Amino acid sequence: MKKIVIALVGQPNVGKSHLANAISGSNLKIGNFAGVTVEKATARLSTEGFALEFIDLPGLYSLEDFSADEKVTKDFLQKGEYDLILNVLDSTNLERNLMLTTELMELQKKMVIALNMDDEAIKEGIDIDADAMSKILSVPCVRVSSKTKTNIEFLVDEILHVTKNEFVAPKLIYSDEVEEQLQTIVRFLEDKHFTTPHFSNRQIAVGLLWQKREIYALMHEQPLYVELHPILNNALGHVYMYAQSEEIDEIINRQHGAFSAGLSAEVLHVTKVVRKNFTQTIDAILIHKLLGLPIFIFLMWGLFQLTFTLGRIPMDWIEASFGWLGETIGSTISNEALKSLIVDGIIAGVGSVVMFLPNIMILFLGIALLETTGYMSRAAFLLDGFFHKFGLHGKSFVPLVTGFGCSVPAYMAARTLKNKKDRLLTMFIIGFMSCGARLPVYVLFAGAFFEEEMAGNVLFGIYIVGALLGLIAAKILRVSAFKGEDEPFVMEMPKYRLPSIKLLWFVVYAKSTMYVKKAGTFILMASMLIWFISSYPKNSLIEQEYTTKIEALQPSTNEEKSSVDEAVKTIDEDKSVSIEDAIKALENEKREKLMEHTYLGMIGKTIEPAFAPLGFDWKMSVATFSGLAAKEVIVSTLGVLYSLGDKVSEDDSSLRAIITANISFASAMAFIVFVMVYLPCLAATSVFAKEAEEPKYTVYLVIFTFATAWVLSFITYQSITFFS
Amino acid sequence: MIDLSQINKNQKALIKTIHAQNTLKKRLLSLGLGIGKEVEVVETSLQKNTIKIIIGFSSIALRFDEAKLIEVEVA
Repeated sequence: MKKIVIALVGQPNVGKSHLANAISGSNLKIGNFAGVTVEKATARLSTEGFALEFIDLPGLYSLEDFSADEKVTKDFLQKGEYDLILNVLDSTNLERNLMLTTELMELQKKMVIALNMDDEAIKEGIDIDADAMSKILSVPCVRVSSKTKTNIEFLVDEILHVTKNEFVAPKLIYSDEVEEQLQTIVRFLEDKHFTTPHFSNRQIAVGLLWQKREIYALMHEQPLYVELHPILNNALGHVYMYAQSEEIDEIINRQHGAFSAGLSAEVLHVTKVVRKNFTQTIDAILIHKLLGLPIFIFLMWGLFQLTFTLGRIPMDWIEASFGWLGETIGSTISNEALKSLIVDGIIAGVGSVVMFLPNIMILFLGIALLETTGYMSRAAFLLDGFFHKFGLHGKSFVPLVTGFGCSVPAYMAARTLKNKKDRLLTMFIIGFMSCGARLPVYVLFAGAFFEEEMAGNVLFGIYIVGALLGLIAAKILRVSAFKGEDEPFVMEMPKYRLPSIKLLWFVVYAKSTMYVKKAGTFILMASMLIWFISSYPKNSLIEQEYTTKIEALQPSTNEEKSSVDEAVKTIDEDKSVSIEDAIKALENEKREKLMEHTYLGMIGKTIEPAFAPLGFDWKMSVATFSGLAAKEVIVSTLGVLYSLGDKVSEDDSSLRAIITANISFASAMAFIVFVMVYLPCLAATSVFAKEAEEPKYTVYLVIFTFATAWVLSFITYQSITFFS
Repeated sequence: MIDLSQINKNQKALIKTIHAQNTLKKRLLSLGLGIGKEVEVVETSLQKNTIKIIIGFSSIALRFDEAKLIEVEVA
């Protein structure tokens, strides 16, 4: 089967991923994080013995590499290996979209144009004559709608047709004056019998006239450049004179603009004029001077309330079923060590992480909605003024909010920022936006230390405080480490679009499976490892010592129970209760001592002094340490450690209850603060390292986050202890 | 001479010159803010930080600092 590699190119928000999905019809992964879709989305479509493979490139406005993100696309288009460009256009915004198309046409590659969102265009009274457009451009143009799936098959036919046939140069015509100059240069090259494998002579002429660096570099090496130079100079002089401007970018833009406008006028027919469309009406409220910000804050608050209250319900079921699973499986295993591994290690560890799946799903749904509806850029608009005061950029909002979901795509989303310092600054504070993996820790502690009605607000508070800390950190970094020019704020506000349920489902489903997979593999291993190092080596000496102590108390209880006297009996009952308590206390002490002598206990004891000023016991210290791998591991570590160590009371053995009983309020708050600030996780750190390019920044990030976490946590613990 | 930041809400203007440098200029042009194009200011934020304009079929958000670089003529 012959493989056809198709580069999907288009301006942002034209529905590239959606179209690829509609074409393949398969469960193609859609990643709609701003500028993150560089993944190879392979859609196996085996028509007539061809397999189509789509490369979903980040959207871009022009080939001028304004942002790091657009550079990815440009580099791929110029150097990557592909057979054909599928240029996706938004039919409702034809003229501006054509500006990019003209630039793509200058690349001289096989191309098919998909006029997407045809359904929307029809609704708005926009009619595009695709046949006329195909003829004018010499590029097949197809009206399609990824939403209603109209004409998708026809588009595939065109793709196959173009692939099978010889390349036909697209017809991009400049103004007469420019064409005349191009002809002069082309004629000169032909006279000299000049050829290069990668570019046609017309392409070289255009590249020279438009002063493209790569073409200049190429021609400069040629001996004929000496003769070419005066011709080119003359041509440029003419162009400058005609255009009455000496700025080539502006001239190019006007040429492209004139071509796009001319083509639009030729093929576009607007039958009804919609004065105020849906988007304008909604925007009048959502980015309203006074209402905009309160609405935004309310929406965010609502999301966290929902995360907690709605997520709460299935959480109890999951908790109960894991408890039941542990008991049922535990009772069938006679081998003590194996039983402990499965019940206390695997089930307790994995269960404590899976429990938070509903919360994670709700949070991701919320973020996906923000992104797909187009509200994200409105929020950036609303917040730019405020962000700017802290040295951040309105566009930083997108990676920062993505950071609430997961830091990995957030670091990548920072690519939309052009200025390197702005980008690094944003990346440094992404960690302050609590990611989904930290949510379990918060939900656990908020549920343990606050009333249920308050927990949602506490959760919202944690996120807000984290974000505010991030802003303060940004300001500090901006005036110290990342001084420099501000990046301009210019961004498109896409139309509001209701995302398809399918798309939302894909996003939530993909994130959830990722989470469950993590729980099933990575966290399972971690839980087992932690169980092992917290159970071994066995210390028989301590065991014996305590067994003797407990036995010493036992006989007296039996003796006194035989008494018949009423009055004595009540006293005895008190006594027996206190003895039972003593036994329990001894048993707890025994577990504690045993645990302390395990490998994990030794590690914990070693690192405890560093965390002691923060009010962490050694178990919490260990959890912090294991949380470096992934934040969910904190919960599973606590789950394993506390369920092994302290069976507080048999009837209320949920982790929440154990934590309330074992950790002081001040320590718990300090712990939350620490988790809030320190390094996200191993995976995220490696992505950071890749995105930041220079290794020193990763070192800075590690030091910066740990130092900040420690100091803030210290302040929290000390001040709560002081005031209570 | 007036610039885009001085245009009131719901007022239209024609772009005369863009004073921005290199990359920013290219960006503005690629977003459709060409010379001679008609723009309409539809929203300004409370503290006059950002404005929303409509150009052709698209909506663009700009900071006041950038709007100051765009010389216009009231339509």
